[in-house]
Amino acid sequence: MSDNKTVVVDVDRSVYDIKDIETEEEFYREKEGFTRDIVEKLSEEKDDPKWMRDLRFRSLELFEKQKNTTWGPDVSDLDLNRISSYVRHKSEMKTDWEDVPEDIKNTFERLGIPEAERKSLAGVGAQYDSELVYHNLKDEVARAGVVYTDMEAAVKGEYADLVEQYFMKVIPPTDHKYAALHGAVWSGGSFVYVPKGVKVEVPLQSYFRLNAAGAGQFEHTLIIVDEGADLHFIEGCSAPKYNVANLHAGAVELVVKKNARLRYSTIENWSKNMYNLNTKRAIVEENGRMEWVSGSFGSHTSYLYPMTILKGDNSQMEYTGITFAGKGQNLDTGAKVVHQGKNTKSVISTKSISKDGGIGTYRSSVVIAASAKNAKASISCDSLMLDSISRSDTVPAMDIRTNDADVGHEAKIGRISDDAIFYLMSRGLSEEDARAMIVSGFANPVSKELPLEYAVEMNNLIKLEMSGNM
Amino acid sequence: MSEQSLLQVKDLSSKINDTEILHGINLEIRKGETHVLMGPNGAGKSTLGYTLMGNPNYEVTGGKIFFEGEDITDISTDKRAKAGMFLSFQNPLEVPGISLGSFIRNAFHEQTGVPVKLLKFKKDLASSMDILTMDHGYADRDLNVGFSGGEKKKAEILQMLMLNPKLAILDETDSGLDVDAVRTVSKGIEEFQKKEDGALLIITHSTKILEALHVDYTHVLVNGTIVKTGGAELVDEINENGFEQFLQ
Amino acid sequence: MIVNVLPVLTYRWLHLNDSELDDKYINVTDTVSPAPIALPAGVSRTTLSRSEAEKVFDNAAQLLAKEDEKYVSPNGDMYFRNKEQKIHTGMGIDIDKLLDKMNVQTDVYTAEENKKISEPVVIRYELEDGSGSLSSQIIHAKKNSEITVILDYRSEINAGGFHGVSTKLLAEEGAKINLIKVQMLGYNYIHIDDIGAVCMKNADIEDTQLELGSSKSWNGIYVNLLGDESVFNGNIGYLCKDEQNYDINYIAQQNGKRTDSKCVCRGVLIDKASKTFKGTIDFRVGSSGSVGDEQEDTLLLSPDVINRTMPVILCQEEDVDGRHGATIGQLDEDTLFYMQSRGISSEQAKKIVVKARLDSIANMIPDDEVKAKAAHFIQNAL
Repeated sequence: MSDNKTVVVDVDRSVYDIKDIETEEEFYREKEGFTRDIVEKLSEEKDDPKWMRDLRFRSLELFEKQKNTTWGPDVSDLDLNRISSYVRHKSEMKTDWEDVPEDIKNTFERLGIPEAERKSLAGVGAQYDSELVYHNLKDEVARAGVVYTDMEAAVKGEYADLVEQYFMKVIPPTDHKYAALHGAVWSGGSFVYVPKGVKVEVPLQSYFRLNAAGAGQFEHTLIIVDEGADLHFIEGCSAPKYNVANLHAGAVELVVKKNARLRYSTIENWSKNMYNLNTKRAIVEENGRMEWVSGSFGSHTSYLYPMTILKGDNSQMEYTGITFAGKGQNLDTGAKVVHQGKNTKSVISTKSISKDGGIGTYRSSVVIAASAKNAKASISCDSLMLDSISRSDTVPAMDIRTNDADVGHEAKIGRISDDAIFYLMSRGLSEEDARAMIVSGFANPVSKELPLEYAVEMNNLIKLEMSGNM
Repeated sequence: MSEQSLLQVKDLSSKINDTEILHGINLEIRKGETHVLMGPNGAGKSTLGYTLMGNPNYEVTGGKIFFEGEDITDISTDKRAKAGMFLSFQNPLEVPGISLGSFIRNAFHEQTGVPVKLLKFKKDLASSMDILTMDHGYADRDLNVGFSGGEKKKAEILQMLMLNPKLAILDETDSGLDVDAVRTVSKGIEEFQKKEDGALLIITHSTKILEALHVDYTHVLVNGTIVKTGGAELVDEINENGFEQFLQ
Repeated sequence: MIVNVLPVLTYRWLHLNDSELDDKYINVTDTVSPAPIALPAGVSRTTLSRSEAEKVFDNAAQLLAKEDEKYVSPNGDMYFRNKEQKIHTGMGIDIDKLLDKMNVQTDVYTAEENKKISEPVVIRYELEDGSGSLSSQIIHAKKNSEITVILDYRSEINAGGFHGVSTKLLAEEGAKINLIKVQMLGYNYIHIDDIGAVCMKNADIEDTQLELGSSKSWNGIYVNLLGDESVFNGNIGYLCKDEQNYDINYIAQQNGKRTDSKCVCRGVLIDKASKTFKGTIDFRVGSSGSVGDEQEDTLLLSPDVINRTMPVILCQEEDVDGRHGATIGQLDEDTLFYMQSRGISSEQAKKIVVKARLDSIANMIPDDEVKAKAAHFIQNAL
């Protein structure tokens, strides 16, 4: 087949689609819906401290009160009464892949996680449905004082106070309906603490796998990079496709302290029955730097706008993102930034591709507060329409409240020119390959920000989307 | 049709946007031959190049094109390239995000179907770049993006050398180049001629590029028709007298 | 009432999705549109009820309704909010409702077929302090005609009151409408200015607007490029100082093939002034070969100004070229330094740049008296 041989090696979508059988002997599954009883049971099971228990119930109340938004993709088909909040394998979390149950281990083997860990990662957390099944950190990194653990352990462990200080404070449950839901039923996820001055040379990765049909995943990630420290964190996610809706409403809270740097990279490849209503937010203190690299390929519906609060003077953020909306997908993605400190700087650069009836929306907000003297913001968003049955919309907002600011915005929308296709075909590429190559080139500013293996994965996903055989 | 025939154009007419540009072109190029197509601006020279390569904007309204005896009039551009045709563009397109080196490797792989050995490829690429006095750094730059006019033309000739077609059509490869660049490009073309059986159709309206090259046939195109065909001496004649004698 | 609703909603906390126009501001005492100062030959004027007057849009409305069948809603779609409007306007249906409630008659200016009229129709509003005026016009350029209309609103510099205008435009095949609106009302005026326009095949609408006076000003422009190869060219200039507030909603809906919309919004904010610009280019299915361009250039001259911008592109067609650019900030230092090196104080340099910026729009006014008056107004404001 000619459509799978250019640019990058072949990949098989079926890897993501292999389902494990969920048996009653091996798995515990909470009944569907989100009620007080269920939250009660979850809190009990997790043996929450009081503040966490209170947070869950307060969040549940907020969830019950709040309505869905009117501005994003329609989620009226998502029946929360048919989503199970909690599914877990009955074995404990392991620190050695050999001890992880066979089926689950095989799934992660197929996704290449243990191999990536050996080759290029400093630590890995692997979540399967609602709980982590594996967590490990390389010795030398642990010796430097880096903490990388599952969220449940963190809530009660050595860093409990630090967790309490930030947990659902960066993203309060009042934020929106699904942040509230998350606060009520969160389970799993990772806690990372990088001590002052420690620079973690190789990335940490958490991989989230949702195998259970009709379930929700509500993992919570909290990363604190202390003064002068440096971290690259990678998040991967996938799920096999089912005919029923799945829900992902995770929360990612990031704290970048003075002079610290954090890079957070995501390749999101949820299956196309997933409602991805995820919330990510970073607070950056003085002279800190937050970098987001985000690829959105999967999901049926996505609401995803990583937000950065540039609180400290001279703090910076850079967001590089790509979204590929194919058949049956409505992906509403972008970024938000609030400039509060002086001399703060933000750069948002996104690429969006729509194809086969997919709806891709770039949505953003850049707010420059009156206190953010000498702030600089630059936004550029490029969209590519691959046919006339799709939609591609660009909905950015800017709110500037000081004259001492410099803001530039550029948006472009267009298509692949016939001349470019002819040029590539004159060198022997089929029309399909020529298109795929141009789209890969369009996506290149994003893939070059990723570590090699992930860039390859991203190119494979583009290739796959372009061949139209999904 | 001779054994050695590579390209045969029979009574070819083509149009763009409802305007017929070429009217009944006949042309035969055999293996290893170098043909020159000259003519004043607007004669249809580039149109012939595009039509031979199958640009969808140019519609064949009559006649046939054969390549190695196969009728290619209706086949797609990539298949023509795979069959061994190459067109050097007058204005090569910019393709952001794909480096020149990886693009050539892809095209090479696409045309030959065999996996490219990376080390050997890099060596070949470097030596071809040396012939064209191209900085090796260009291999890693995005295809034609930010290249000067001269660099773009060199990048086209580089692709020709690397892809090694049976027939290369060079469309105004010398236009807009300074003397040194013309000499360099011309050296690249010579290198291509040296390779066995590499045929050329050089489209030009000046003669500078031809000085160092061996030419077998010269055709003069005026108003979409070949009005005269001769040998290399015709180039000199045009050099002296211009096209006026043909403009009746 | 709710006006200037975005065609697609976004985050609620930004409060950009629409604007509220408090009913307390709306005091209408006068619903008569002034007679034009000049009515050149080839243009007729008739006064009709709104429903009667809008019959000229029957054909266009039918064609637009047919186009809507192919429309796939974007996320947060608000397009259907104004469905009851025969011709959509930038401020929206609430303005039409106000016109009906106040029983405002519509003046219809019609340019005869094939007549190219270079002399402008000038409609001047000279308003007293405390007046409450609401009026409405339709400008109808028949096939291959050409018409220029200047509306200018003026009063004493410290006068106050309410002033509302609704202007609807129909440029038939091959016709050209050149519309100029210059707002020079006193600093205590509430001003609303609503425009809805349709361009048929090969038609061309040029819209030049200069917003200088009043305390609060709402402005809406909705252009339907319905016919193939139709063109819209908008030039908006504004100067807001003290606590002036300007809210504008511009939408170019492109249905025809090879249509071309262009909008330049250029302005200056001083003191505690605030401005909200919402600009949307909406490429509908079938608009292949179309281009849409929108450029915003805002100069912020005081620490307490508020500048809000929503540059939206909606696209349901592959073969289009849409562009948006915004430059927001202070006067660039190189310009300032250059002027200072020539002995001009930074205050003076700022004035020169501001004036040059607004004059670039004012110079498009094809009437010397209005042009001079606008230049004078700008000079005084600085």
